[in-house]
Amino acid sequence: MSILIEQLLNAAALSALLFLVSVGLSLVFGILRVVNFAHGVFYMLGAYFSFTAVALSGRFWLSLVAVPVVVGLFGALLESSTLRFIYRRPPIYQLLLTFGIALILEEGVRLVYGPTAKPMDPPAALQGAISVAGITYPRYRLFLIGLGIVVALGIWLLLKRTRAGLVIRAVAQNSEMADCLGADVQRVRTLVFGFACALAGLGGVAAAPMTSAYLGMGISVIVDAFVVVVVGGLGSIGGSMAGSLIVGAAQTWGGFYFSETAMVIMYAVMGAILIFRPQGLFGEEE
Amino acid sequence: MTGARRSVALATLLLVVAALPWVLARYQLSILTELFIFGLLALSLDLIMGYTGMVSFGHAAYFGLGAYGSALLLINFAVPVPVALLGGALLAGVVAVPVGYISTRATGIYFAMLTLAFAQLLYTIAFKWRDLTGGSDGIAGVPKTSLWWNGPSLASPTAYYYLVAVCLVLALGLCRGLVRSPFGRALQAIRENERKFAVLGQDPRRFKLAVFVIAAVFAGLAGALFAPFRGFASPEVMFWVLSGQALMMVIVGGIGTLVGPIVGAMAFLLIQEVLSSYTEAWMIFTGAIFVLMVIFLPGGLVGAFLTWMEGRKSLARGGA
Amino acid sequence: MAPILETRGLSRSFGALQAVAGVSLAIEPGELRAIIGPNGAGKTSLFHLLSGVLRPTSGQVWFRGEDISALAAPARCRRGISRTFQITSIFPEFTVLENVRMAIQLKAGGNFRLLGGRSLLSSTEGQARTSLEFLGLADRADALASTLPHGDQRLVELAMALAQQPQLLLVDEPTQGLSPEDTQAAVAVIRQITKERALTILLVEHDMDVVFDLADRISVLHLGQLIADGRPSEIRANPDVQKAYLGGAV
Repeated sequence: MSILIEQLLNAAALSALLFLVSVGLSLVFGILRVVNFAHGVFYMLGAYFSFTAVALSGRFWLSLVAVPVVVGLFGALLESSTLRFIYRRPPIYQLLLTFGIALILEEGVRLVYGPTAKPMDPPAALQGAISVAGITYPRYRLFLIGLGIVVALGIWLLLKRTRAGLVIRAVAQNSEMADCLGADVQRVRTLVFGFACALAGLGGVAAAPMTSAYLGMGISVIVDAFVVVVVGGLGSIGGSMAGSLIVGAAQTWGGFYFSETAMVIMYAVMGAILIFRPQGLFGEEE
Repeated sequence: MTGARRSVALATLLLVVAALPWVLARYQLSILTELFIFGLLALSLDLIMGYTGMVSFGHAAYFGLGAYGSALLLINFAVPVPVALLGGALLAGVVAVPVGYISTRATGIYFAMLTLAFAQLLYTIAFKWRDLTGGSDGIAGVPKTSLWWNGPSLASPTAYYYLVAVCLVLALGLCRGLVRSPFGRALQAIRENERKFAVLGQDPRRFKLAVFVIAAVFAGLAGALFAPFRGFASPEVMFWVLSGQALMMVIVGGIGTLVGPIVGAMAFLLIQEVLSSYTEAWMIFTGAIFVLMVIFLPGGLVGAFLTWMEGRKSLARGGA
Repeated sequence: MAPILETRGLSRSFGALQAVAGVSLAIEPGELRAIIGPNGAGKTSLFHLLSGVLRPTSGQVWFRGEDISALAAPARCRRGISRTFQITSIFPEFTVLENVRMAIQLKAGGNFRLLGGRSLLSSTEGQARTSLEFLGLADRADALASTLPHGDQRLVELAMALAQQPQLLLVDEPTQGLSPEDTQAAVAVIRQITKERALTILLVEHDMDVVFDLADRISVLHLGQLIADGRPSEIRANPDVQKAYLGGAV
């Protein structure tokens, strides 16, 4: 019984992390109709910047708030200097462009930080374990679960209940119309892109104490994030949530019982879903 | 160019390629051989990218499978190189069938990510299955054996150069025939309008799977040539970075031109060679060049050249 | 005579939205049937259901006495159903000739000839030229389809569908976006097609003059349902149709 609870919480923590990364990806696709291949690299930047921030200031909570902002600004800058010029092109070019950016950023990190992984400790308040539901469970993972829930709620509120969210949704539905009605479409795009990168960065900050900051974390997380959006459907926030839960659960239980083959199981699940529903569980039919 | 002019140009080019071993130094010939090998990889990617419109982020996996396949055959059975080439290419093709079947159920970005995911899976397998693949160390000491059993040795740079050149020229010829055939036309129709294709009476997925496997076989051939050339096979040959570099070669050279990607591969690798001797940040510069080309010169070098030629032709005709 | 096309209680919903609701139609061979209805009536969805682009949530489609409800689009095309789309759907970077030739090749077969195939290519090309002549496009055979004006592109799409020599042709808003002259030309083409070929045509159209000019019978859709079905004169006088669609007297 206690193993079950532990597994459930593990799955929830992993799902929270996956959600943080994949929701940004989904947002960018839903609103900009662009797939940002570099999304995983922003996650990695979050982790590395957090490492630096904590090394300099000794404060985790500061970096939790500041680093995503920095990463978000950086993303917005990139979008307005490169991506904005190729929105009207066939999607292949946007994929390639963001791929090129991913390569550049990954190399940049390698040059600045070196090839070895950078481990990080959780802040003192989140270290150790506490008693919950009859078992002892690491505080940090509970924090991750909480963070995931808070972010999910925050995004939902932002999109459904605020004026900004309304504008964003209008641009997503019909950007030309929104433009005619006075919305600054390019600004919305830049903001959304930046926001998505900030979310990825937040994911990286949150993940670093658990996984360390290491090269290649961007690529492995983007594959995971894409499995999530494939399962849940691109452009659907609810789909990201469902997808994160499913993939998180599959990886946790798969990892527990089958360790080496966890990855294979994940691909098998994804492959099976795609064979029967090529648009993902929640995606729109072509 | 008229047909006669074209044949002359082609013959000249082939003669030049054949004569180069007498002109170039050993190490230069070596570099050129490697350029040809990656040219073959880029050519294979153009089949699915340029002609069918499918962007694959995991094409290097088939290069890697070819490399490991030929390495294992050469080390364990000392077969003649052509047999190893066949084995490597076949291995790549066989794996491409189930991967392609699942991946082509999806389109666009879903397809791209599936190819990446499968490539990562294969990479992980290569990395972890120490008994078969040597793990992160890979397989070393892959020999260049002979052209056939008790045949001439392929150990000299010149001999191997010819082997690679012949493979590349043959592959280019086959690909050109392929894209001009009814099948090749159908691929381009899929690229132009996949939904219409279905409504006109054929299932695009069958075609996409077929070309995916064909491209994998050619990529596997390139990998199978690579292993004995370098003497080893390691997980890097399957890594996503190589997939990305292959994409860049196709774009830089000129997507959808077959020759372009070969040119692109050579240009790309040469730029890398030059840049890496100046700075450790060379990959950032190549990445930046790539990004700039995607924005400003999406037709690549050959594409730009063709556009320029068209422009001159219509000027000569007195057109706008 | 048995109907060439029949739908039985054909329905398609998207979540809560009922795009097509229990439509039962019967089309006679050689008929020219117009499908009309206000925006959002489900006309294009109906075409998608008939051509196999969409699967029904319930109901059946019968073509030439066969239940084709489970067949996907490619199979339906090979059985003799060709269509055009509301938003022109062609191969933009192909020449006009290649567009039509491709349509012929895809239906005729030989698509997996990986090398050579010269004779197939030239025979399909010959058939394509004939098709272009019929529609007056022969002089633009080598033009890139994307460079043609909108009206001509719609003509190319029609040529592609006709070149497949279908038994049933679904034409979705052929005059949309066309100037008055082009509209006249399109009507003339369609009339010529019906005269020269044994072809059943289903026509979605908003332009009422065109509809009453060409149609043998008219079916009226409203909010996904079939609300009237009959000769043009009957439809004109039908009060439900007037209410739903024409907003009063015609």
